[in-house]
Amino acid sequence: MSASTETGSPAGKTWKSKEEFLGCVILTDWILLVVLFAVLLGSFHIHYMLLAGDWDFWIDFKDRRMWPTVAPIVAMCFAAASQSFFWTRFRLPIGATTVVLALLIGEWINRYDNFWGWTFFPINLVFPSALIPMGFWLDIVLMISGSWLVTALVGGLGWGLLFYPINWPVLAQYHQAAEVDGVLLTLADLIGFNYVRTGTPEYIRMVERGTLRTFGKDVVPVAAFFAGFISMLVYFLWWNMGKWFSTTKYLEIEEV
Amino acid sequence: MKSLNMQSMAKSVTTRVVRLWIFGLAVAGALTTLPAATPAAAHGERSQQAFLRMRTLNWYDVKWSKTELNVNDEMELTGKVHVFSGWPQAVARPGESFLNVGEPGPVLIRKSAFVGEVPVPRTFSMDVGKDYEYKIVLKARRQGRYHVHVQINVKDGGPIVGPGQWITIKGDMKDFTNPVTLLEGSTIDLETYGITWTYIYHFFWMAAAAAWILYWFMTKGIIVRYWQVKAGKGAELIGQDEKRIGAITLAVVLLGVLVFYAAANREFPRTLPMQAGLLTGISPIDEPRSTVAVQFKGGSYTVPGRELRIRVKVANNGKDPIRLGEFTSAGLRFLNPDVFTSRPDFPDYLLADRGLSVSDSNPIAPGETRDLEVIVQDARFDIERLSDLAYDTDSQFGGLLFFFSPSGERQKAEIGGPVIPKFQAGAAL
Ligand SMILES: [Cu+2]
Repeated sequence: MSASTETGSPAGKTWKSKEEFLGCVILTDWILLVVLFAVLLGSFHIHYMLLAGDWDFWIDFKDRRMWPTVAPIVAMCFAAASQSFFWTRFRLPIGATTVVLALLIGEWINRYDNFWGWTFFPINLVFPSALIPMGFWLDIVLMISGSWLVTALVGGLGWGLLFYPINWPVLAQYHQAAEVDGVLLTLADLIGFNYVRTGTPEYIRMVERGTLRTFGKDVVPVAAFFAGFISMLVYFLWWNMGKWFSTTKYLEIEEV
Repeated sequence: MKSLNMQSMAKSVTTRVVRLWIFGLAVAGALTTLPAATPAAAHGERSQQAFLRMRTLNWYDVKWSKTELNVNDEMELTGKVHVFSGWPQAVARPGESFLNVGEPGPVLIRKSAFVGEVPVPRTFSMDVGKDYEYKIVLKARRQGRYHVHVQINVKDGGPIVGPGQWITIKGDMKDFTNPVTLLEGSTIDLETYGITWTYIYHFFWMAAAAAWILYWFMTKGIIVRYWQVKAGKGAELIGQDEKRIGAITLAVVLLGVLVFYAAANREFPRTLPMQAGLLTGISPIDEPRSTVAVQFKGGSYTVPGRELRIRVKVANNGKDPIRLGEFTSAGLRFLNPDVFTSRPDFPDYLLADRGLSVSDSNPIAPGETRDLEVIVQDARFDIERLSDLAYDTDSQFGGLLFFFSPSGERQKAEIGGPVIPKFQAGAAL
């Protein structure tokens, strides 16, 4: 870009016109957006595959206890870090929505391309968890409160609580019951049984394993509150992680 | 010239952006695709350690009811499995096991599975030393030619792969259906059930997120905001108007969540949690006690090589004379041609129909006890890497011997123990 000043513009002026300058800013903005989006997509996708993994891959892992606990907590890491970057540097209320959208685009490419396209697992076995409304919640709480502390507490709790309800509209249909050879199964169990996964035996599912059993059948709210509380802690940690990642360090000229 | 380029650059921002997006998506596609790119062609049936394959599950009587099917046709994969008494210490016991199929993706779906009479969509428990009968009903889904194995996954032990057979499927996966009757009576096609709605729901929210991001991006971009924050005017970027937009958006989003949630509950008022849990108490095969007693007296094998020699003491406590007809281990079958006059129907790569010989081929009379040397000799012993036993921590062999009476009645005896490797010239550990 400095090349144009040497040949084309009057001495001392970087830009020929205001329009040229604005055009360059807009172009750089778009490049930034695309690059940031791609970087967040790649890194968040790897993070989420490693930590939420099977819980997010398979419909028959999406139970009422482990999945709504694990998935929001590990998703919170990148949401908090991304907010820290977008909010403190740019006052942009899009940190959380951007990462969850990036993650979901990456996941959908993966599920459609690999799980369905190459291995023929039907999409109703392998669709990802919905997260977008949680991103809206977190971004707008931060925007209105203007405080990352409030966002950690209120936003974090809501993040955990929203997870199951926003996934239920898709999940409910697969929790209808069917009978196979005299055994009662939900459609989710049945899809997992029908569509053979050689490397994923049934026993690695963790369907409602745990110790907290005193709330009867209300398993989800307990898991959701727990996920909310842990999400608060994760938010504190990863907000600072994001802050640390978005600092610019310069080298002294003598060191170069 | 170059400044002209700058101007045209600014003008063609939009086309560039589109191209960048396409490129970005392509890169994202490639990156997310890579980890799964390893082909499933080599499914590792030989790479499992020899002692593991010989001393855990002994597969026998494995049958594939068909080897050629059309899409939507069903076949049965049946057989028996003996849980080896000397189950290796290095492998977890089969207290939690899952009857599975070794195939490259769900090219055949598992319609039902039984161990004994018990349906096993879930994990079940097996006892060491016992024999179990299984049946898997498979329905052809995708056209092609596939190697289909019976397999039992053992928790903390890994998948234990049984014999495999090539299955040819004709037709087109597009025609495949998987009808399932719900408890409330209606029938659905599970192959496609709910998929369209799943797409709509997910892409609706994703579009909303994209709109939100673009709205803020288009109003002031990234760099301008950075300069303003740097100049200490960050507070001006989010004023009352912006907060109002935020509050309204949040209200609409939460209302949307509520509406979708209520609609799902109205449409599906009766739902169940997922069903899971260990099935215990599955009965093993109820068979009379074997009238043949076999005692292992030692043996040796060549590394690398194609030969296993074992010395056994055989006592015939039955009423008929018997002859040793078969040794089976790790899915391989070594047959004694004196006993098997015709070749049984079994995958060729696992069937050594002249692979077994005995030092004394006369029948063992009722009440008689005889010392025998059994020679297992076939290239398959080496090809299937059973001679790699020397490289295992627990280099003991294992398997089943089958004895036959003149009327064809079969008696089974488990055999196993330490064997001494003989290293040939040029072979290295
Ligand atoms: Cu195979």
